[in-house]
Amino acid sequence: MQKKAVRYTVSEIAKLGKDNIPAELLSGQGLVYSSPATLAYNSPGAEGFGVKRAGLAVPESVMLIVSPGCCGRNTSIVSSMPQYKDRFFYLMMDETDLVTGRHLKRIPDAVSEVVSFLDKNGKKPKVVMICITCVDALLGTDMERVCSACERALDDGTRVRPCYMYALTREGRRPPMVHVRQTLYSLLEPMEKDPRSVNIIGNFAPLEEGELQKMLFDAGVKNIRQISTCGTYEEFLKMASANFNIVTNPEARAAALDMSNRLGIPYIELTRVHDVDRNALQYRSFANAVGIKADVSAEEVKAQEAVGSLKDAFPDLVFNIGECLNADPFELALSLVRYGFGVDEIYATLSPEKFKYISKLAEISPDTKVFCNMDPTMLYYDVSSSPADISLGKDAAFYCPEIPNIAWNSDVQPFGFQGITALMNEINRTMKEVRA
Amino acid sequence: MKGLRKVLTPFAPDQSGAVSVLYSLGGMTVIIDAGGCTGNICGFDEPRWHDVRSAVFSAGLRDMDAILGRDKLLVSKIANACERIDASFVALIGTPVPATIATDYKALKRMIEKETSIPVLAIPTDGMQLYDEGEARAYKALFETFSMEGGSLEKIVLGKTPLTFGNGFEDNTLDDYKNIGEKTKITAASASGIEAAKLLGRPYEIFSSIAADMAGSIPSGKVLVCHDEVFGKTLRDKGVDCDIVAFFTLHDEIKEAGDRKITEEDEFTELVLKGGYDVIVADECLKPLAEGFNGKWIDAPFFALSGRR
Repeated sequence: MQKKAVRYTVSEIAKLGKDNIPAELLSGQGLVYSSPATLAYNSPGAEGFGVKRAGLAVPESVMLIVSPGCCGRNTSIVSSMPQYKDRFFYLMMDETDLVTGRHLKRIPDAVSEVVSFLDKNGKKPKVVMICITCVDALLGTDMERVCSACERALDDGTRVRPCYMYALTREGRRPPMVHVRQTLYSLLEPMEKDPRSVNIIGNFAPLEEGELQKMLFDAGVKNIRQISTCGTYEEFLKMASANFNIVTNPEARAAALDMSNRLGIPYIELTRVHDVDRNALQYRSFANAVGIKADVSAEEVKAQEAVGSLKDAFPDLVFNIGECLNADPFELALSLVRYGFGVDEIYATLSPEKFKYISKLAEISPDTKVFCNMDPTMLYYDVSSSPADISLGKDAAFYCPEIPNIAWNSDVQPFGFQGITALMNEINRTMKEVRA
Repeated sequence: MKGLRKVLTPFAPDQSGAVSVLYSLGGMTVIIDAGGCTGNICGFDEPRWHDVRSAVFSAGLRDMDAILGRDKLLVSKIANACERIDASFVALIGTPVPATIATDYKALKRMIEKETSIPVLAIPTDGMQLYDEGEARAYKALFETFSMEGGSLEKIVLGKTPLTFGNGFEDNTLDDYKNIGEKTKITAASASGIEAAKLLGRPYEIFSSIAADMAGSIPSGKVLVCHDEVFGKTLRDKGVDCDIVAFFTLHDEIKEAGDRKITEEDEFTELVLKGGYDVIVADECLKPLAEGFNGKWIDAPFFALSGRR
């Protein structure tokens, strides 16, 4: 037995083609190793957004988790954060519930008791999210009906919505993080349109203030709303008045489509890229599509200067890149290689959609290696053979403990030229400190 | 309402307990779930995960695997991993998903053993019982799979896992278990330790060294201890006049007048309000349930309860 982590070079992967990706690099093909990246998805805890934390993105909402005890176990990490105090409640299922489904009849009473408990403490919620898990997925529970029964029982205008924490559907058409976004925005009701209002949807923490917002304000937009910046439920409901939605994360695409169909709000997608030229092209296309004039040349120059400055200071820098970071690791690797840097290893789960990056990487950096965070052999991963100078992504720090790391995984999302500038400057600063 | 938690978060479940017993034994532990249960264990309930790597994997079940009962696919995944991961045994840990679809663990065990020639421990936990039950089930599977006769081990402590004692846990090896013999001194350090010791059919002592160390610091008066039952009994044996209240197992051999097994938040509140206690020894996560208690609270962290080490 070799006791070695399985890896492929991008050249090998490109030759195999997107229809023949090695099983070890794909999600859902074998047993799953609990790497930091796997845990960030399956057990996000206090960092990042899993279904539980995401489900509470709506202001003045609380969550009742209806499940076996094991499903809510790690919520104590999130519950200890001040902004989540008194927002998580649990209705524990037992074996009889599993067999008879009797827990469903208890949910309206449980919701009423939770709302009454909070009302006595002066914290009456506007929304109760009912989070259910794999068990109810398999039982085929009709949660829409259960939630309607809860709203009838409360009879005070409090909204009750389902929230599906179905890990069983990770590779499905509507994985949990897609579904939860649809649920959140399904609370919006049709209202009069405000041509000067725009929503940015995609993440559960705000997009960092930058050139995108500036571009919109320059074009006459008065209100840019994001779910995370709405202080009250009433403010959140005003998202229904938007002229259009900007989608910054593909996981919000289904929610945007729902809003387009139900509320008549069209949407346009923007992608986070780390190539300055591609980013400029994207902004020009965006401005043309929505009919505005955009001058972000100053930010573009800053980004070019940040890349140039890093290149001047550390021309031969080699990176290892994980997937617990605010970037697509394959896109980031390609951009860094195009700037003239090296990328030795990528720790990320592959999918056919990533081939647009893999095929280009194979041309200019064929020996870059790809490891899958989920593969059991990652138990044997040893960093000693990598010549990398620095790692990017919180999970990469786990694999590369001997070299400096930039986690680049804050809740607040970097984007556009500003994101590129900030990342390049952070790498520059870190390397200067290390080599001082 | 029964089963409704407004203050406490759920306690460590049986599947976490089972993994806790097996973690350091050099086997391959496969949690039969979609990923979330494994995430809860490796990311929360298993403090050793970040320090000592162990072959604990999720089966990575998907909806159609569960709906169609694709046992052969699971066997194939495990056999494939066994070719690449060094393991002295395979342990199957149940979760709510196999409980819902009524997975036949005996059949799975036979199929995997036939395919890999590696011994398999099947532990039918379901995520709805508590950790001490899971620990006891893991001991049972372990003792049934490996012969425990004629060894020369001097002493062994059972049930001293991180879930009860946080960083004060004590690991055993697979060889330790295989070397238990007639002269081995057996100590049960928690409720699951008592169950394990009973399975061995040998005399054992009931003792928690962590509780013994704390005994001297507890003031006199009427004391309520809410922790593992062995923790409470050890305090009592050291002269603390206390009632034991347990959210987990309370064995008849420990239970005395005034002791009580509880399940709900309200029961704890009522006990505190009506019990007239001067001192409470318990994890401070229970404090919000004891409003109006004016006595002395001695914090006794209990990981399975609060997640505090």
